[in-house]
Amino acid sequence: MPLLINRAVTEDSWLLVDEADFSAHLNEDIVVPYELFAEHSEALLSAEGKLGVRINGDQDLNLLLQNLDKLSLIAIEFPAFTDGRGFSFARILRRSGFIGQLRAEGDVTRDRLEYMERCGFDAFAIPADRYSDDITSAFGEIPVHYQGCADDERPIFRQ
Amino acid sequence: MYQYNEQDQNLINARVEQYRDQTRRFLAGEIPDEEFRGLRLMNGLYIQRQAPMLRIAVPYGLMNSVQVRKLADITRKYDKNYAHFTTRTNVQLNWPKLEEVPDILAELAEVQMHAIQTSGNCLRNTTTDHFAGVIPDEIEDPRPWCEMIRQWTTLHPEFAYLPRKFKIAVTGGPEDRAASRVHDIGLHLVKNAAGETGFEVLVGGGLGRTPVIGKVIREFLPQQDLLTYLEAILRVYNLNGRRDNKYKARVKILVNALGIDEFRKLVDAEWEIIRRTELALTDDYIAKIKGYFEPHPYAADAVDGLSVLENQLEDNADFRAWYERNTREHKVTGYRAVVISLKPHLKPPGDITDVQLDAVADLADTYNFGEIRSTHDQNLVFAHVAAGDLYTLWQSLRDLNLARPNIGTLTDMIVCPGFDFCSLANAHTLGVAEQINEKFDDLDYLYDIGDIKLNMSGCINACAHHHVAHIGILGVDKGGEDFYQITLGGSSREDATLGKIIGKAVPQAEVADTVEKILQVYVENRFEDERFIETVRRIGLDPFKERVYATVN
Repeated sequence: MPLLINRAVTEDSWLLVDEADFSAHLNEDIVVPYELFAEHSEALLSAEGKLGVRINGDQDLNLLLQNLDKLSLIAIEFPAFTDGRGFSFARILRRSGFIGQLRAEGDVTRDRLEYMERCGFDAFAIPADRYSDDITSAFGEIPVHYQGCADDERPIFRQ
Repeated sequence: MYQYNEQDQNLINARVEQYRDQTRRFLAGEIPDEEFRGLRLMNGLYIQRQAPMLRIAVPYGLMNSVQVRKLADITRKYDKNYAHFTTRTNVQLNWPKLEEVPDILAELAEVQMHAIQTSGNCLRNTTTDHFAGVIPDEIEDPRPWCEMIRQWTTLHPEFAYLPRKFKIAVTGGPEDRAASRVHDIGLHLVKNAAGETGFEVLVGGGLGRTPVIGKVIREFLPQQDLLTYLEAILRVYNLNGRRDNKYKARVKILVNALGIDEFRKLVDAEWEIIRRTELALTDDYIAKIKGYFEPHPYAADAVDGLSVLENQLEDNADFRAWYERNTREHKVTGYRAVVISLKPHLKPPGDITDVQLDAVADLADTYNFGEIRSTHDQNLVFAHVAAGDLYTLWQSLRDLNLARPNIGTLTDMIVCPGFDFCSLANAHTLGVAEQINEKFDDLDYLYDIGDIKLNMSGCINACAHHHVAHIGILGVDKGGEDFYQITLGGSSREDATLGKIIGKAVPQAEVADTVEKILQVYVENRFEDERFIETVRRIGLDPFKERVYATVN
């Protein structure tokens, strides 16, 4: 699955772990599912490696907001392209001061990349069958923004 | 009216090219059907029963003659020489080709028009009062605020994939000609005790399967907070609205589930965070947008036309009938607002031909400062016609079959395209509209019945707002046959009310006869000068039920 970070194809340096194997990787840079983080947050937060959490729209963003400075990556899942909750999650995380990697996962395809980036995502895991080399031309297709967003908080009347 | 600057133009030009590329990739098989569906809907393109349908945005119902001529041209070049106005004051083409839509959009962009967000689960076109700016008792012209909302909603990156569609209406004062109480958000310009202008904010109104009257979420919103407050509502909705069932996904369901007080708490908590951000409106921006809506240069000698008009009204009964039904007071003496009826005898309500569009554009240049408005009840308005011009304008409109003196009467119906065109519809509407037109063609009878609102939808989605009509007709399918359920007592105005069903649905052939029985009960029971809706409210539904179902065992 190709991964774009800051509009460039990048090798994924993170390891996705689950309940069964996370304790063996506590010194590495790992991404854990939300439930795992909720259950083992103490152990995970005190580990040596960097920590990422994967969340979706049904889960409680507040738990992450309380630990923002200790998280280096947050992956937001889009279960379907019609599910727009992740856009608001991203917006809230960025305005709350999250400066780590914000990764869009799931139904992440070309025609949503621009809006996702504007809302604060900087990393995109694209399904292989929907990836093409010209996909990055989706960024910046619309050069004018009426609204402020995570990329530039100024609406058109303050630009 | 608002004029695009270079940035506005760049935005829609870029959007045309973006959509052109999306269409190309879809046709090349690079975008799955379901996903392209989402993309094309956000650009107003439906796939309908016979052909695609393209819905073009008319922001808050305001157009100029150049735009209307372009619409005429597009219907000739890409469609079947007619267009259809909708209850969102937008305009629809019923026969465009999917492959040609990017070219249509490019042509629209030349005249500062587009189809952005005219469908799909996103922020839709904002609507307002079609007499905005000319009403004597208006607190303020709502259109500058509509334009600020238009800019904020257009291609909003966070709210393009909402649980469901989202519609906002704005009124300039207490009178409500925009059905604002049955919108996701209704905004009413009001003054507070200190004399400051702001907004009363309603949320959670809507029609469709679950009709609901909106609830007041904030009695007074300072004007500079307009967009921060809207953004707070939208964020709460985007995060909390149901996504498991599209029939329960509108904000009205969320507001009802949480209760307005709890919903308000969530909105206020979010608003507190963003209220003082850069989204707060600046005085400069408000003043700049208001500058586009300055009053037209009304002629000081327009009052001289009043005496001429007086004579013309006396001499010509047909002209007088039109004047009385189809024109309204204007705040400048010597001017009238004219409603151009798109409800001619035996033609689909809201339809207009290319020839009529061109002629309307020319007439607007001659008599109305080049301005044309579309109304939520599917007519057009020339809002500023000098008294001395009314007679010649009437003659021209009559020659174009655009002067039927039926505004506000029974035949001024809102009707959706129904089964003939729409793939959602369960029942036909256009044939039934014809049936009603044939039965009630006598103007003396219509004038005797007076102000009445009849709306007809071809399915439960209620595009024609039948729940809030005095007489609402809903087409339903029963074992392959069209039946029509009748509601009475609805209103979309400041006294917004949902109509009540009077009984079991009637067969197609009996709709007009049923309406006639209902009107008989009204005529027999009304007090002098009592309007239909007032009689219904006073005597209740029983007398109507008894008459309508008397012969049914």
